[in-house]
Amino acid sequence: MRAFEIMVYRQVKRFLRARSRVAGMIINPLVWLAFFGIGWSNAFRDTSIFGGVDYLTYLSPGIFAMTVFNQSFVSGISVIWDREFGFLKEVLVAPASRKETIAGRIFGDSAVATLQGAIILSLTFFIAKINLLGVISALGVGFVLAVAFSSFGVSIAARMRSMEGFQMIMALVMLPLIFLSGAIYPIAFMPSWMKALALANPLTYAVEASRVLLTGVSGIFPLYQSLLILLILTAVMLYIAMVSFERSTVE
Amino acid sequence: MGKRMYAIEVENLVKKFGDFEAVKGVSFKVRKGEIFAFLGPNGAGKTTTVHILTTLLKPTSGKAIVAGYDVVKDAKEVRKRIGIVFQDPSVDRDLTAYENMLVHGGVYGLRGRELKEKIEELLKFVELWEFRNKLVKYFSGGMQRRLEIARSLLHHPEVLFLDEPTLGLDPQTRAHVWSYIEAMREEQEMTIFLTTHYMEEAEKLADRVAIIDHGRIIADGTVEELKKLVGGDVIYLKVEDGAECFETDFGSCVVLPDGRIRIDVSNASEAIPRIFEAAEKEGIKILEITYHRPTLNDVFLHLTGREIRDEGGNLMKGITKARMRR
Ligand SMILES: Nc1ncnc2c1ncn2[C@@H]1O[C@H](COP(=O)(O)OP(=O)(O)O)[C@@H](O)[C@H]1O
Ligand SMILES: [Mg+2]
Repeated sequence: MRAFEIMVYRQVKRFLRARSRVAGMIINPLVWLAFFGIGWSNAFRDTSIFGGVDYLTYLSPGIFAMTVFNQSFVSGISVIWDREFGFLKEVLVAPASRKETIAGRIFGDSAVATLQGAIILSLTFFIAKINLLGVISALGVGFVLAVAFSSFGVSIAARMRSMEGFQMIMALVMLPLIFLSGAIYPIAFMPSWMKALALANPLTYAVEASRVLLTGVSGIFPLYQSLLILLILTAVMLYIAMVSFERSTVE
Repeated sequence: MGKRMYAIEVENLVKKFGDFEAVKGVSFKVRKGEIFAFLGPNGAGKTTTVHILTTLLKPTSGKAIVAGYDVVKDAKEVRKRIGIVFQDPSVDRDLTAYENMLVHGGVYGLRGRELKEKIEELLKFVELWEFRNKLVKYFSGGMQRRLEIARSLLHHPEVLFLDEPTLGLDPQTRAHVWSYIEAMREEQEMTIFLTTHYMEEAEKLADRVAIIDHGRIIADGTVEELKKLVGGDVIYLKVEDGAECFETDFGSCVVLPDGRIRIDVSNASEAIPRIFEAAEKEGIKILEITYHRPTLNDVFLHLTGREIRDEGGNLMKGITKARMRR
């Protein structure tokens, strides 16, 4: 377990060092909340489409999940930088289990992403009606979500040979997955082809679950069902990441 | 284990990248406790060989035993017993020197007091203890190298690989790193496999040297043995108009790209008067004559007709190599 532990330590340490980068990551969701959220919440007079809450309250759990998702996906994919700057080779020549090492990195990144989600969440208290009792469980959901998407990032990074495809992957993955998750508008009103895509998106289940926990608004699934699906998808994604990393070489 | 004589045994190792053969069947043995150097120009296949021996790359064919274990079949056992300083920097720039050591130790399963003591000892050894809490991104190239050396020693490797340990360092820092490597051999009973394209480095540090070029070992032995391949001394001549190897009978003669003529002789003090005689007979005017004991660069030149330092290979085109009639 030592390699797991030390990788968690490394990721958290590096995060604490990079405070300016942290500020940069938090600005993005704040812009969403302030300009997108407040702007639309005055336009949407009819709260029934959002399960009876105002739009800002509806949006807040979505922005929380989005923050965790963005952060964890980017840190997962940054395994490419580790390759570029040699740390990966260090890990690959060590006798420690590669599965364990990468799992440590993923969990460390997830702790960091959850912490950033928590910062955003605490800011939403001032503008939305958040159920305080749900916060701890919502952070738990955030952590599972983070494990899912740092794993996804690692699996992609393990297959990428250079930084070239990076921009394309970001454009292809980040925004579409957010729009297809119910974070910003309800899945119930999506056309059926879009709904099908949303149901295949792990982010959807995290958004649904944290919205129930934080605002009491339920979407298309009951809470236990969202949680179960999220956990299963996360376990699968973590396993794929561990296997992809184990097979990666310096070639 | 104690009786094993060789730290590394390599037989007919081949590595292909697609159609390109980077390592073309090399074989060599490194004795326990010695410093063995792979000397060769850029692109010779040194790093590829190191990556195979350290289990990072799979060989296309051939066999390699490191610290008693097969690098393909028993990769994990090999990994437990080796340390490596990569050619390219591999430090964690966002961590301090101390944290870099801590993380490395952790990845090797070390912890607690033992680890802390070892980190202190090694950071002191490479004279970085006072900078232990500084972020590595503010370190100079030489300091980063020293940190990497300290880090590679943390888990007591039996065999240490140093891939171009002084690449890109200034001469003073290079000498500094050499002194650590020499101290390492003295203090820790370790086998060191070193690659370099600096012949001075191989000459200074290595007990035995293998010269590698285009994926093949073209000679190996002690530095003295290799120099004997050239003969006794090396004479350089500068002559008036048109350098050409003229009729002599004492050794091989090469015209260098810079227009000088190089002659390998067994004894320079005897050969020089005869060279003057021969030149006079041919009507060639000698402007300058120097000689020295052969260096490893002369050995490389002797074997390949190229100099190690000429990296691109374009400079070689003009070389004419002529064997003198005996
Ligand atoms: N991953 C790779 N793919 C294709 N060619 C490679 C790869 N790695 C090295 N090579 C080629 O193999 C040859 C030997 O490279 P290398 O072992 O790095 O040489 P050296 O370390 O002696 O400078 C070079 O021609 C290099 O371009
Ligand atoms: Mg190299």
